[in-house]
Amino acid sequence: MDFLKSMGIAASGLRAQAGRMRVLSENIANADSTASTAGGDPYRRKIPTFSSEIDRALDARIMKMGKIGLDQSNFRSKYDPSHPAADANGNVKFPNVNSLVEMSDLKEAQRSYEANLNIVSATRRMIQRTLDILRA
Amino acid sequence: MASPSIAANAYANLARIVDPGSLTKTTEAGGQSFASMLKDTIGSVVEAGRKSDSQTIAAAAGKANVIDVVTAVAETEVAVGTLVSVRDRVIQSYEEIMRMPI
Repeated sequence: MDFLKSMGIAASGLRAQAGRMRVLSENIANADSTASTAGGDPYRRKIPTFSSEIDRALDARIMKMGKIGLDQSNFRSKYDPSHPAADANGNVKFPNVNSLVEMSDLKEAQRSYEANLNIVSATRRMIQRTLDILRA
Repeated sequence: MASPSIAANAYANLARIVDPGSLTKTTEAGGQSFASMLKDTIGSVVEAGRKSDSQTIAAAAGKANVIDVVTAVAETEVAVGTLVSVRDRVIQSYEEIMRMPI
């Protein structure tokens, strides 16, 4: 049934946005994680990607989390010779995570999630209203 | 002067409805299809109920996604709602027929 199909598609969007939230929370939580060895690389920011694919069981195009990319931009560097992860020159590399960017991405994920939730509740309301015809 | 032909058509239709042969045939066919329809629907409702049950149990154990539980329960809700509405409607029609003055 088309109603159940659209609900399934919206559910796939919910799942993908939940996965995006997981990646973003990983980025935010690791915003200050430095390397465990001296002079090593710290946490590298992860980028969630999405792809559209056909679900055979549902016979519709759904959304899925794609591969998680790694942000190749430069790490932040700070002079702190007493830090255990400092290199020979006393510089410590910090992750290339910008909390502001992550926060705005988080808001976007939240909004997309809400949009998909609205689809689910609107579909349910439509089914309910249609069945109400029989009850009248 | 169309009224005679309209009346004739109406009588012809009435005769077709009242014709005992066609009446029994339609009720038989209708009974058959309704029974099988009911059977199919109940089967799918039971199937959907099982699915939502297993999803709920898995979610309680911390294994399943909340989204899967919600969609499974919503599917069951739709199936049960449709079945109940159709059943109520059919029973209502039956009662109306039984109340018919003979």
